[in-house]
Amino acid sequence: MAKPVVEKKYTLGERIYLLEILKGMVLTWKHFVFNFMASFRSGPHTVPTTWQYPEDRREISPIFRGEHMQTLDDQGREKCIGCGMCAKICPAQCISIVKAKVPEDQQELYAGKTYSSSFNIDLLRCIFCGFCEEVCPTNAIVLGQGYELAEYRREGCQRDKARLIENFRLARESGKLKPQRKPVIVAEPKAKPAPEGGAQKDPGVQKVEQAKPKKAAAAKETT
Amino acid sequence: MDDWLIALIKVVFIWVWVLLIAVIMTWVERRGASMIQDRLGPNRAGPFGLLQPLADGIKLFTKEDIVPDKAKKILFSLGPILFALPAFSAYAVVPFGDKIVLGGKEIILQVSDINVGFLYVVALGSMAVYGIIVGGWASNNKYSILGGLRSTAQLISYEVPLGLALLAITLIYGTFSLREIALAQQGTFLGVFPNWGIFKQPLGFILFIVTAYAEANRVPFDLPEAESEIVSGYHTEYGSMRLGLYLFGEYVNLCTLSALIVTFYFGAWHLPYINMAAFLGPISYGIASFLVFFLKVSFFLWLFVWVRWTVPRFRYDQVMGLGWKALIPLALINLFITALAIQLTI
Repeated sequence: MAKPVVEKKYTLGERIYLLEILKGMVLTWKHFVFNFMASFRSGPHTVPTTWQYPEDRREISPIFRGEHMQTLDDQGREKCIGCGMCAKICPAQCISIVKAKVPEDQQELYAGKTYSSSFNIDLLRCIFCGFCEEVCPTNAIVLGQGYELAEYRREGCQRDKARLIENFRLARESGKLKPQRKPVIVAEPKAKPAPEGGAQKDPGVQKVEQAKPKKAAAAKETT
Repeated sequence: MDDWLIALIKVVFIWVWVLLIAVIMTWVERRGASMIQDRLGPNRAGPFGLLQPLADGIKLFTKEDIVPDKAKKILFSLGPILFALPAFSAYAVVPFGDKIVLGGKEIILQVSDINVGFLYVVALGSMAVYGIIVGGWASNNKYSILGGLRSTAQLISYEVPLGLALLAITLIYGTFSLREIALAQQGTFLGVFPNWGIFKQPLGFILFIVTAYAEANRVPFDLPEAESEIVSGYHTEYGSMRLGLYLFGEYVNLCTLSALIVTFYFGAWHLPYINMAAFLGPISYGIASFLVFFLKVSFFLWLFVWVRWTVPRFRYDQVMGLGWKALIPLALINLFITALAIQLTI
């Protein structure tokens, strides 16, 4: 059944219409004055609904899935073991990886016994689903906060290992590393196993707190 | 020879001035709209985005000038000119200030004070529709021709109450000259009211301002270019500077209509209760009258923007109904009452 049409009875004032227009104009005037005053306030983001993008960036979530990075462990060793699980699970097939054994003379560079001798991500294909991050057994690949990925050429959208590690370094310096989501099962040096175990039990606050001293330590190492 | 030179200077000056206002109006419209709609609007080009009209102009000039294959070429290029020209020409009789004394010579701040200024304004007002209908017809596009037809019907309907409202004004002031009408609005009547048209013709003012919005094809009467119904109306097929000329002509039109509203109903360059001529020097008085006039004009220009972002568009039959069933009878009644009042008081 269609809804019956209700004929609204208009009052004389509504029928003349000019008064209603004046009411509407009062409303729009209020909006105008509010935004006009707001535009004179100093600082970014003065008009509530608008972010002035290049100057005024929205805060993005700590678990945002942006540009990838390859993490290093506390001793500055590459965590990636080159297992290729990320490449396998990637729905867009954007990761290409070559596994290799760690040479005897480069043991201090890599955390595992094997490593990825080449690691490439094609950002043009990537859909930023985060599967690679989830599947990685060593937390070696992480999606970071970077989202300004426009380039002038296609080649610019390829990410090799050096660039991915550089991304990690930059994120670590700016303190934008997200807390680790799962315990690392790589063979760790015996020195500090305790904090990792603690973080596993309580995933909320403790993790964040724990991330800070780690960062500080890492920063010291790099300098 | 001297008079000739002065006239030329006045023509060039008012031409440039109106162009400047039209340019600024495009910016005011966009920023004003954004402020009303809780946005920011164009604020990148120059301080507060003030150079945005310049950027728009550069864009329009550098775009490719496309003439549709089946369009009527001559009429197609004639349309925008026919639209913009009357808008500029109407300014010739509008007094934009009282007078200024320069070098012992008294210069009237008006391009030409012709004694049928009123008829000239009304005639040029109806000329503007040719630009729209010619452009719509020549485009060979059904939306364009619909826009043109709508504009014609609308203009014919609203020209009548506009003329009748103005006729009541001429009855009161007893002259067709715009300058004399402006001069007659000095001082007060009945002790309290300024001698302005709006106090003598309140109904006439409402009629005039409503018809002015229809004449300028502005919201709520922007049926000729109703975007949600007929794409862009008469200028659907236009691009580059031809479109620019249409858009520009619209703002010049707004400026002309605002100036007419001020001249007829808001005391032209007079301030209420204050006689500027009494205490200002001859040069400063000229400048002051000019500024006062354009202060009032700018208010009405802003009103055009303000109303545009407040009121939604009327339906086509509502526009026609309002024109023929409300405004024309009201205008006739207004004229009758005015005539009666004058007859009884004299």
